[in-house]
Amino acid sequence: MADKSFVGGIREPRQGLVRVIRRGRSGWGGGRVALERSEVSPKLAPHFGFRLSEAERRGGGHFRGTRGRGGGKMAAPLELRCWGGGWGLPSVHSESLVVLAYAKFSGAPLKVSVIDNTWRGSRGDVPILTSEDNIVSQPAKILNFLRKQKYNADYQLSAKQGADTLAYIALLEEKLLPAVLHTFWIENDNYFTVTKPWFASRIPFPLSLILPGRMSKRALNRILLTKGEPPHYHLKEVEAQIYRDAKECLNLLSNRLGTSQFFFGNTPTTLDAYVFGFVAPLYKVHFPKVQLQEHVKQLSNLCRFCDDILSCYFRISLAGFSPAGQDTVDANLQKLTQLVNKESNLIEKMDDNLRQSPQLPPRKLPTLKLTTADEESNSFQPLSP
Amino acid sequence: MDPGRVSHPMSSPSPCSKAETDEEIAFRRATEPWPEDATLYQQLKGEQILLSDNASSLAVQAFLQMCELPIKVVCRANAEYMSPSGKVPFIHVGNQVVSELGPIVQFVKAKGHSLSDGLDEVQKAEMKAYMELVNNMLLTAELYLQWCDEATVGEITHSRYGFPYPWPLNHILAYQKQWEVKRKMKAIGWGNKTLDQVLEDVDQCCQALSQRLGTQPYFFNKQPTELDALVFGHLFTILTTQLTSDELSDKEPGEKRKTTYFVLGSEWLHL
Repeated sequence: MADKSFVGGIREPRQGLVRVIRRGRSGWGGGRVALERSEVSPKLAPHFGFRLSEAERRGGGHFRGTRGRGGGKMAAPLELRCWGGGWGLPSVHSESLVVLAYAKFSGAPLKVSVIDNTWRGSRGDVPILTSEDNIVSQPAKILNFLRKQKYNADYQLSAKQGADTLAYIALLEEKLLPAVLHTFWIENDNYFTVTKPWFASRIPFPLSLILPGRMSKRALNRILLTKGEPPHYHLKEVEAQIYRDAKECLNLLSNRLGTSQFFFGNTPTTLDAYVFGFVAPLYKVHFPKVQLQEHVKQLSNLCRFCDDILSCYFRISLAGFSPAGQDTVDANLQKLTQLVNKESNLIEKMDDNLRQSPQLPPRKLPTLKLTTADEESNSFQPLSP
Repeated sequence: MDPGRVSHPMSSPSPCSKAETDEEIAFRRATEPWPEDATLYQQLKGEQILLSDNASSLAVQAFLQMCELPIKVVCRANAEYMSPSGKVPFIHVGNQVVSELGPIVQFVKAKGHSLSDGLDEVQKAEMKAYMELVNNMLLTAELYLQWCDEATVGEITHSRYGFPYPWPLNHILAYQKQWEVKRKMKAIGWGNKTLDQVLEDVDQCCQALSQRLGTQPYFFNKQPTELDALVFGHLFTILTTQLTSDELSDKEPGEKRKTTYFVLGSEWLHL
């Protein structure tokens, strides 16, 4: 039962641990992940990963991946520069959110530096990943770079699912992105009351007058050039068209997601990162003009999807853990999680027994309290009868 | 759903694709039959048409053939300007003019012919996603290759694009179009891509399509759909067009499945 991991009181999906068996394990020869031949064509493989052999899955690493253990090529520290968060999201900017989500899914240790209103660091073309002397700038390229560094969230996918991922990402960029851009940057009410003040507050003074305007113009440009062809000469007609497309796209995504937890089974992949990155800002940020948000709220499985990812993967970063000090914390955390898991299993059994035979509780409870006292789990609440 | 960039004489609400009964389809076919003199307009085949336009035109022709609707292809030098949306190809049916594959598919559906009725919702979503993938990657790569790659532009594109016009109009129009395309590339983030990166993207796209196709004859079930028409149009054009660099067509072969698919597709057009 060692694969369950309980982090900060929130249960992770079962395969959470499997994903992070990674580099730096001296037993596996210099940090290289042993590859199994799969039916993935060799050319597609670098993009969508490979299957890990069974032995590695059972290895049981830590949640955060092993760092500095034994030999093996250790990644240079990866630093991501992106826009900050608000309204419960780690980042309000879609592309930054995609990269953050992917990093969490694949276990990549990213040091996130949020853009604030000091003059440090670059501001254009965000999100930017720097590692040693590589600077990578767009989300697709950043994800490729992370995959090459063996932080791969897609290794469980078959080749066909990998192809589906590409197709759905194209659909998102073509149909949903214009509407997201429009909601944030072009719709006047939204832009002047929410977007511009938020971004301006994070940019130092003289630039804060210029940069939001520039971003808005770039968004408008993109929409008009890709969607605003004749006979849609007027922005209003383009708007109607792009919102229609976006609603259709959201419906398609909702149909595809159905009732499963993530798009391809129980582990999140690149597609989940992209969908989360585009849909979550629409869902969470409070806008005055909310037609697309209303539509998203009607699709309850998409809302559930976003909420799940937020609660499972982003609670820690909001609590302020830095990736650097995680090693000792991880060890304790793992012990804690195992204990708490044992407790919760006991609880479930108790629960079942309770329901079946009501006269049992008085005898069972003292045993329960005893085991609780023995262990160190202080985050655990005893079950009240 | 967008009823196509055209004004319908009968402004019917967008057809719901779910519960189309046979009687309804038969009714639609009876009231708005496909005329015998439907024509498809594109640019001059031998001297003027460019890679991307040729691909789109072939895709539409293949689609109409698959629906068994007769269409006549007419080549006009100013087809691009005749089109209601500025893109070729466009079809002229009865008293309506519809351009581009997407609206044409919807228009044909409104007339009661459809290739994708047999698909369920998830498959339809997949089909739409793959069509977007082809448009996003293959079409954009073709545009990039013919307008942003200096070698191709100088040798082929400029002379072909400006073919029907006298000097200096041919140069001016060609430069104007090039500037427009470059602007669009920059807006969607392709402005900084090198040729190698573009070819890598094409490769990835073809791999994805190849994986999806597997060993089946068509992408969905045993019947061709509009996705098959679209992919066929692009593949055929890429494989049979001579460019200065053969890199684009080099990416395609070696995929046995796609070659058989492509052979099947050419049967449709009796090429």
